[in-house]
Amino acid sequence: MLYREAGQFKTSYTADQQLFPIRQDRIGVLVLLAIAFLGVPLFASDYWFSAILIPFLIFSLAALGLNILTGYAGQLSLGSAAFMAVGAYAAYNFQLRIEGIPILVSFACGGLCAALVGVLFGLPSLRIKGFYLAVATLAAQFFIVWCLTKFPWLSNNSSSGVISTQQLIILGHELKTPLEKYLLVLAIVVVLALAAKNLVRSATGRAWMAVRDMDVAASVIGIKLLPTKLLAFAISSFYCGVAGALYAFCYLGSVEPDGFSLDMSFKILFMIIIGGVGSIMGSFLGAAFILLLPIFLDVALPFLAGLFGLPFSSATVSHIQILLFGALIMFFLIVEPHGLARLWQIGKEKLRLWPFPH
Amino acid sequence: MSGRKIGEVILDLQNISLRFGGVKALTDISFDVREHEIRAIIGPNGAGKSSMLNVINGVYHPQEGKIFWRGQERRKMEPHEAAQQNIARTFQNIALFKGMSVLDNIMTGRITKMRANFIEHALWFGRARREELEHRRRVEEVIDFLEIQHIRKTPVGRLPYGLQKRVELGRALAAEPAMLLLDEPMAGMNVEEKQDMCRFILDVNDQFGTTIVLIEHDMGVVMDISDRVVVLDYGKKIGDGVPDEVKNNEDVIRAYLGAGH
Amino acid sequence: MNFFFEVLIGGLLSGVMYALVALGFVMIYKASGVFNFAQGAMVYLAALAVVGCMEMGAPLWLAVILAFAIMTLFGIATEKFVLRKLVNQPPIALFMATIGLAFFIEGLAPLLFGSQPRALDLGIVDEPIAWVLDNWNMVISKFDLVAAAVASLLVATLALFFQYTRVGRALRAVADDHQAALSIGIPLQHIWAIVWGVAGFVALVAGMMWGARNGVQFALTFTALKALPVLILGGFTSVPGAIVGGLIIGASEKLAEIYIPPVLQDLFGGSFGGIEGWFPYVLALLFLLVRPEGLFGEKHIDRV
Repeated sequence: MLYREAGQFKTSYTADQQLFPIRQDRIGVLVLLAIAFLGVPLFASDYWFSAILIPFLIFSLAALGLNILTGYAGQLSLGSAAFMAVGAYAAYNFQLRIEGIPILVSFACGGLCAALVGVLFGLPSLRIKGFYLAVATLAAQFFIVWCLTKFPWLSNNSSSGVISTQQLIILGHELKTPLEKYLLVLAIVVVLALAAKNLVRSATGRAWMAVRDMDVAASVIGIKLLPTKLLAFAISSFYCGVAGALYAFCYLGSVEPDGFSLDMSFKILFMIIIGGVGSIMGSFLGAAFILLLPIFLDVALPFLAGLFGLPFSSATVSHIQILLFGALIMFFLIVEPHGLARLWQIGKEKLRLWPFPH
Repeated sequence: MSGRKIGEVILDLQNISLRFGGVKALTDISFDVREHEIRAIIGPNGAGKSSMLNVINGVYHPQEGKIFWRGQERRKMEPHEAAQQNIARTFQNIALFKGMSVLDNIMTGRITKMRANFIEHALWFGRARREELEHRRRVEEVIDFLEIQHIRKTPVGRLPYGLQKRVELGRALAAEPAMLLLDEPMAGMNVEEKQDMCRFILDVNDQFGTTIVLIEHDMGVVMDISDRVVVLDYGKKIGDGVPDEVKNNEDVIRAYLGAGH
Repeated sequence: MNFFFEVLIGGLLSGVMYALVALGFVMIYKASGVFNFAQGAMVYLAALAVVGCMEMGAPLWLAVILAFAIMTLFGIATEKFVLRKLVNQPPIALFMATIGLAFFIEGLAPLLFGSQPRALDLGIVDEPIAWVLDNWNMVISKFDLVAAAVASLLVATLALFFQYTRVGRALRAVADDHQAALSIGIPLQHIWAIVWGVAGFVALVAGMMWGARNGVQFALTFTALKALPVLILGGFTSVPGAIVGGLIIGASEKLAEIYIPPVLQDLFGGSFGGIEGWFPYVLALLFLLVRPEGLFGEKHIDRV
């Protein structure tokens, strides 16, 4: 009986168009934010911050970016990791080459650079769709990583393109501890997630979904296809770029171009397939799932192998991990194409009716 | 029938020919549409009726011929430009956005009238918010007009066929079009649904003065509601005039009933 | 000039090998409309299966037969348990499912046959052809020439199979129009099983050739990925397209690798090797802008 919208009457369109129209959802989100900002810092250890929570938030942001492009605008991309790389390297260069530029401005500029590159590789999307476009984004993946490795200027002449990021200084205060970095990442991710939620419920989002669902009809009602698709590429790449900058500055501290591999792009794609294509929340669920599964397997598999007395190596774990990712993708596409977010939705609908089943 | 007054010619098609590779879809077709009238296009399957609509709103570009819209010759035009000139349409095989709700589908119909940019949308502030409310109100008027209040938030993919057709009409109406192109709006409907649809079409024409170009197979409907009818067969025009003229035209009778009659 | 031709011929020959992988894509795409991203992974699985069986003591001929059996079974299982369940889903969902399939295979294959890189000896030596070296002073690999011959033979066999056998005719009918084929009594699911079997066979041939040339290792999947730009160039539905596309990609990437780095070096300093890694994709991307339907693909008109 807790989750029930009975008695909540909407008397204006303003009320009906709120970010979270159901009161319990609003409270739920506020509680979640309170836990994330206040509760977690009280209890989590440094390991949790730097090995689980920070990468989770960063990959959620990247998945959110890909979801805008693939889930909402219907354009498949296999190059997300490359756009992250652009964001990371651009932010690094802004810090390096412009005296006294605030770190947040660097992140934003990193995102903008990624957006620019995204638009460039999105140009073919006017004429091609589906897997043709996927191959075009593969070009972005390989070409960008190669450029970052080979042009010494981009990594300040370091060998094989490795960069070590600068200090994180905000308003004269240096962020050193995992907790501080976590709070910074959290704040950025929350702001960008809210912006994404606003975008997809506005005319921009409707135009994206219209292009996704039926492009001919979309153009007939007055949507310009190329600008709409390019905007999706730009915003998606901006999100990926900021995620990349955070990945370099707040998570690893030192990155190389090869780290932003095709494999990472696939992982981000898997996050949205499993989490839910076309769902903001799904991006977070998917990121959590894809990041936690290997950690779980690392613990569970040796234990299971020990139980049955089987020989065991770390290579085996990684093979089983890859195999499971593949199997899960097929499973979700067959059984629940809308992913974990849809399961969550179904759960909520059940809860709305509970305890009366019909 | 009503107070509406048929006005000047607003769309004039002259000698339109359209080919796909070697296939001639339309050959040398000329006809015009007057303001506020209901103009029907009829003809057997494959006569080129849908192609004709696609030419009018810029999905296909004819190789030959001229198109005048409100007296001005139109060069090569893209579909979204037709939308900006207030030409809206529905499709033969429903072309709704399946993943979106009824409300969102109809809201997309007003997209050419919205001015806020994506940054304002992301912030949900000022103009973006005002526009969203303003257009929501207009969309609700369309929803009331079409009597689909009860399915406002339903994803269109879950609706039955007849209602989907109505939502598609709603999306076109939301654009407040000067001209509405309807591609078989009553195909596959039962008598009652057809009556509803006829009522909506006549009301639109009557209340808003919208010019309507209509493709329909149901002769009863066509003869009842249209002001003038153009008949196509194998991509050629074989008849044009008020319903009674067309009904008695030899060529039309032959095309519909075969040469033996 | 000799050097230019040497690079060109070497590139063309390796292009034939790309075409070999691309053929598998074309087969499946023509018959079932599925863009099988996992074809590269299947090449890897086939090569691993051959060396795996040989390590267990089987002679080469038996290992090849066993690997063929494995590939066929795997193809049929894929069709039955994955693709059949996704009928009527949008093509993009099927495409993503085959990405999942690729990962599944890339995890499964090393679990079954071990992941350490291994050599595969088919008894063909990889050395320059003496006669060409003597007369024209060009290094042309004997192995590449044999591989090209094998590929041509395979293409010819497939062409004959499609053209003149009952199954081949049924396959072409299915490729043309599923519904129509079904309505005249062609059992769609048998056909798809056969197609996956044939695609498995093509993967096996490609896997053995690439495995013998570069060693059987995970990097094979990246080599096989280059079949994608080949398809873009040649068009997804055309067998001759796959071959011409393969030749163009093979030749141009080798030429680019030789002739572009010195230019960049003059401009920026540093070293610019590894252009082969991205050149085919960028070439395909540029090509898409000019001719989205490929060299031999059919132009598609959207009906509304």
